[in-house]
Amino acid sequence: MDKLVLTPRGFSRVPLEAEVITPDAFAGKSVKEIRALRVHYGNREVEMSEYIHVQGKVADAPVDQLIVVDGDARHIKYIGRGMTAGRIVVQGDAGMHTGSQMSGGDITVAGDAGDWTGAEMRGGLLRVLGDAGNLLGAAYRGSSEGMTGGCIIVNGSAGSEVGSFMRRGMMVVEGATGPFTGVHMNGGEIFVFGPLGRRAGAQAKGNGGFIAALGGAREVLPTYVYEATYAPGFMTLYMRQLAENLGVKHAARYIGEPLRRYRGDMAIGGSAEILVAEKGAP
Amino acid sequence: MKHEDVVCPFCGCLCDDLEVTVEDGHIVGVKNACGISRSKFMSHGLNRVSAPTVEGKEASLEEAVRESVGILSGARRPLVYGLSSTECGAISKAVELAEATGGVLDNTSSVCHGPTILALQQVGESKATLGEIRNRADLIIFWGSNPTEAHLRHITRYSGTAKGMYVPEGRKGRRIIVVDVRETGTSKMADQFIKVEPNGDFELLEALRATVRGVALRAEAVAGVPMDQVRALAEVMKGARFGVVFFGLGLTQSEGRHMNIDAAVGLVAELNRHTKFLLTPMRGHYNVAGANAVTTWQTGYPYAVDFSRGYPRYNPGEYTSVDMLARGEADAALVLASDPASTFPVDAARGLAKIPVITLEQKITPTSMLSRVVIPVATAGIEAEGTAYRMDGVPIRLRKLVEPTEGVHSDEEVLGMILEGLKGGAEK
Repeated sequence: MDKLVLTPRGFSRVPLEAEVITPDAFAGKSVKEIRALRVHYGNREVEMSEYIHVQGKVADAPVDQLIVVDGDARHIKYIGRGMTAGRIVVQGDAGMHTGSQMSGGDITVAGDAGDWTGAEMRGGLLRVLGDAGNLLGAAYRGSSEGMTGGCIIVNGSAGSEVGSFMRRGMMVVEGATGPFTGVHMNGGEIFVFGPLGRRAGAQAKGNGGFIAALGGAREVLPTYVYEATYAPGFMTLYMRQLAENLGVKHAARYIGEPLRRYRGDMAIGGSAEILVAEKGAP
Repeated sequence: MKHEDVVCPFCGCLCDDLEVTVEDGHIVGVKNACGISRSKFMSHGLNRVSAPTVEGKEASLEEAVRESVGILSGARRPLVYGLSSTECGAISKAVELAEATGGVLDNTSSVCHGPTILALQQVGESKATLGEIRNRADLIIFWGSNPTEAHLRHITRYSGTAKGMYVPEGRKGRRIIVVDVRETGTSKMADQFIKVEPNGDFELLEALRATVRGVALRAEAVAGVPMDQVRALAEVMKGARFGVVFFGLGLTQSEGRHMNIDAAVGLVAELNRHTKFLLTPMRGHYNVAGANAVTTWQTGYPYAVDFSRGYPRYNPGEYTSVDMLARGEADAALVLASDPASTFPVDAARGLAKIPVITLEQKITPTSMLSRVVIPVATAGIEAEGTAYRMDGVPIRLRKLVEPTEGVHSDEEVLGMILEGLKGGAEK
């Protein structure tokens, strides 16, 4: 892969909106052309080079482009928005909307990621080594579909309304989640290895969707009914896939783990499932 | 001179039956008003900002406007905030100003019923005017709201003791239920009080909805309320001829926020399979509903609107003033018709204190005290006319009863001056 290094410099806490930071926008251009791409700093449109130093090699096709953001990108929004191929590595924290609506390629954030990371993601792989903010992989306001494909893995914890209106795809949080995990969920899979937040699966229709609370849950909504304790075979396949192919090493320990199955949300006649490891069940 | 049918510019009830007596350009008497309203009319001249100031020093209006134009034109992410206690003409001007500066426009919904709006956009709304409620409702539920202390004449004019066309007995013809975390003045005059655990409203609403759907839940109690009581309440709701849920900040600002309203709307939707049921937010500031209405018809969105790219974008949580200030994103602010330094969470108030602030205000407030520029303005509904929206979305015309002090202009006029200055600067 051809590597292009972006170094943010000299801007305050006024956010920089830079949805052009994608392999799709960079590939096939000269470094000079990339420096001249437009970004938004507050209410002004400026050339990217004003706030980001660009150096390295540009690939001919997005799939061969590696972009390394070297430095503090906490106030840069929309990194990798809508990308279809290639790779982005953010070596520090990333701002809001990182990887939102991406449909391919992969993004790794070494630090923490802001709110709406991976919002309405369609495909690809998004990995956050630190913590993720609120509304991870969520639907934007007014939309009835959140994540529709791809995979998000967070090594740390995540905030509230993680996976709201999730339709398809997979989300793994190795730490804890905030309240309303999988709210309005209508498909897809969420695995939480830390404690599951309050009110998970609220207003979830189901549609084959489930939340696996492998780290236990302090409480489950009264509108979720307990059905059975079992060790489903499909979970073995998921855990093996997580451990062997997606780098979630300790997932292997949960193979054969007895799970309590709750079904709901009965308030809306839903059939989503919350599977809580028996050890940490309420 | 006696003015009849005067509209009160204080809370979202917009009572329109006041009698105000004016002698020699001063208000000397108010009839039919509640205690808060009387105080607003009788004391509108107290604690006033006496003259425009810049950096705490008295300045002419022209100097204050020039300084404001300088601050706004140099800002990269200006915030225009407030709007809820002024009339619609001023709100419309504020939208124009936010657009001209490429800033962010937000109103006090951000710290009151913003979650209501989010939920209503998500799942819809079933509503009626307060007049229809007065004439038809036989079941009133106050959930997380306390009109005896916040909307003083709500119960007598619209919801409790008022006699209506199909509720001719008044109070006797209505059943009043209060759901709250503690006893309140409203719960004392209600037929039934249901005490819910703090931050347990969402669970209770969900359990009620499931019960109305006919699902038998296994829990013995939900959020501190025994299931027998939940089932009985569900039956009462289903059996009503015309029911209303009036909800307040007890629901919108406790854990769950917009999801509490989402659940409440869901419950009301479910009840409409059995009877007529609706819900109405108890809006606080008298024209916060107008701030939402005007902003919506001009930009498409009710609050948290960002103009930095030249077109409106909406994202509560990102463009809401509290969040922007707490993150330190805004680099200047124009505040009108509100007092964020008193009402914001401490992180956001601290963020406001760090940036240059322009405040348009009648009274000396904590916000005016931390502002670089303060411009006195006329009180809408007393010294300036205009339109305001009642909590149920009905627009009502506010009257001008007395002249403002010489040299003091309305919010709309001052915003117009700043806007002209900005446009003039852009042309040069």
